[in-house]
Amino acid sequence: MTYAHPESLVSAEWLKSNLTNPSIRIIEVDVDPKQYAAGHIPGAIGLDWAKDLQDPVRRDIPNGDQLATLLSNRGVGNEHTIVLYGDSANWFAAYAFWVLKLYGHRDVRLLNGGRAHWLNDSSLPLTPDVVNHPPTTYRPTQPDETLRARVSEVLVSASGAARVASGGAKILQLVDVRSPDEFSGKIIAPPGMNETAQRAGHIPGAVNVPWAQATNADGTFKSVDELRTLYGGKGLTPGAPTVAYCRIGERSSHTWFVLKYLLGFDNVRNYDGSWTEYGNLIGAPIEKNV
Amino acid sequence: MPESTHSQPGTRTTTDLHARVYDGVLDMMPSEENPTPLVRLNALTPPGSTLYAKLEWMNPFGSVKDRAAWAMIRDLESRGELGDAKPGRGIVEPTSGNTGFSLAAIASVRGYPARAVMPSKVPTEKRALIRMAGADVDISSDAMCPLPGSEDGTIGLARTYARAQSNKYVMPNQYENQINARAHEETTGPEIWRQTQGKVSHVFVSLGTCGTVTGISRYLKSKNANVKIIAVQPSPGHDVPGLRNVSELDVSKLYDPSLIDEILQIDFNLAYTNALSLLRREGLRAGPSSGLIFEGARIISARDGVPMGVMIFCDDIFKYVSTMIKHLPELGGSDAEGGS
Ligand SMILES: Cc1ncc(COP(=O)(O)O)c(C=O)c1O
Repeated sequence: MTYAHPESLVSAEWLKSNLTNPSIRIIEVDVDPKQYAAGHIPGAIGLDWAKDLQDPVRRDIPNGDQLATLLSNRGVGNEHTIVLYGDSANWFAAYAFWVLKLYGHRDVRLLNGGRAHWLNDSSLPLTPDVVNHPPTTYRPTQPDETLRARVSEVLVSASGAARVASGGAKILQLVDVRSPDEFSGKIIAPPGMNETAQRAGHIPGAVNVPWAQATNADGTFKSVDELRTLYGGKGLTPGAPTVAYCRIGERSSHTWFVLKYLLGFDNVRNYDGSWTEYGNLIGAPIEKNV
Repeated sequence: MPESTHSQPGTRTTTDLHARVYDGVLDMMPSEENPTPLVRLNALTPPGSTLYAKLEWMNPFGSVKDRAAWAMIRDLESRGELGDAKPGRGIVEPTSGNTGFSLAAIASVRGYPARAVMPSKVPTEKRALIRMAGADVDISSDAMCPLPGSEDGTIGLARTYARAQSNKYVMPNQYENQINARAHEETTGPEIWRQTQGKVSHVFVSLGTCGTVTGISRYLKSKNANVKIIAVQPSPGHDVPGLRNVSELDVSKLYDPSLIDEILQIDFNLAYTNALSLLRREGLRAGPSSGLIFEGARIISARDGVPMGVMIFCDDIFKYVSTMIKHLPELGGSDAEGGS
């Protein structure tokens, strides 16, 4: 069995032989932007998730104009095949993938294994040189809200799940991709994290599948059979409306990618508000297992 | 002090170990002839056992890591990877601090640039020290998400410099470089054997890159297969700089469990409280990893008796002032006592 959308992943070998292909733009997005500065895949553009892929003032993804300016200046056009990669097994690269899909970019792909996989193969080139691609005029579509879950929908589902004992229906399949200690409510956020919440626990009805369980030790994605066993084993089915969330909405983009593009879930959304929104709401139902 | 101490290149060497007069700081590097001191513990040893501390902070740059750093740099020089064969090239290394300081200091003496990539949990003193020694420092974000494989951006970042900018950097790579272990096989091990006149029964070590444990164990077990090598590891969630829990040892390619007789897991808080006891009761200014090692020695002494134990005290407490205050706020003086 192969992935539902195998074309959304590229291998290092494929990328190596397409480094000078003019129809491709390679973009690196890291947890730690120093990684790109030290060295990257030749030709790759470096985006900073905090500065480039968020609204600078309000808590939101960039708006269409902001994204258009960013991509135009960096020489990315609507017609380009975008190949994304990054550190931590493509964690923030997957977030960029989600943002680009939200704004309708047709052809976006992830480098399987991310930057670590490339780095550890010494036959693959790396450079500190920054290439300036000629500017374009990028035109994003209206954001595709079917890829994004909002707190109102999550709350409806959570209240339904909270009533499950009295026969209330579970409306959404909620996947909490944080660590087990965040899920159980033992901790609010991993140690040292600035963005946090007032309360610990998880959204009622959610199942816990930490995001990195979808990857092998080298950062590549697990096989489709392993992934099916992993998520199926938690009772998640491809046909049902599904929402992934984490703390700030980035780790969950990784799982969103896995569910949608590797397993073919047809209705899966990323809840980018995630726990730092939900865990701060007055009166929101919370499940806690400590 | 004789005038000739400051000898010019080409003049007769005046290093005199007995008088402790050296031709240059690198001549202070330890060896069987110039070992770091072995000091017996008199107040804290459980009855019936004998424990000695090997004071690695007496090395020229203040830690056990001088041995590996010096050996790795000489190896790179001898292979033409550093030095005249590669003008302008320097060193990049992922380090929790001690290796970085040793490398930075040796690199400065040798005229090479250096860059250290450090995890953010490293105490500020250590970062500042490395900068003082003339190296550039990158602080790499620690795991934002506590899951295996997603952490330790330091090694990846250092490797990126070495791969993408190989004209400027070579990475000794203490986590994988066999020279790290060999340094201990050729110096620390023989020193212990000679200093104890072959009577050493137990060696107590901690685990970081595992160069220390692997090198010492290889040498001492070749001399006497019955020497017990006891390693300590801090409990999970620890913040003891330089050390790894066994669950974090996958990056340490020098880790060879067949060379270790027993691994004790010890509550990491004891690293800090024991460091205080060692200073207050023995006058030994040992750092936190030594505090943890001492706990291991105490446990085995009480359980089995230790006829001649040697504890590797990797570094001293001076560079852990902020870490010590974090764990023992009363050390911070009136501000901390006031509370809020
Ligand atoms: C303070 C301290 N203790 C112990 C160790 C462990 O030594 P090794 O890396 O040889 O295992 C280190 C080394 O990183 C250290 O810096």
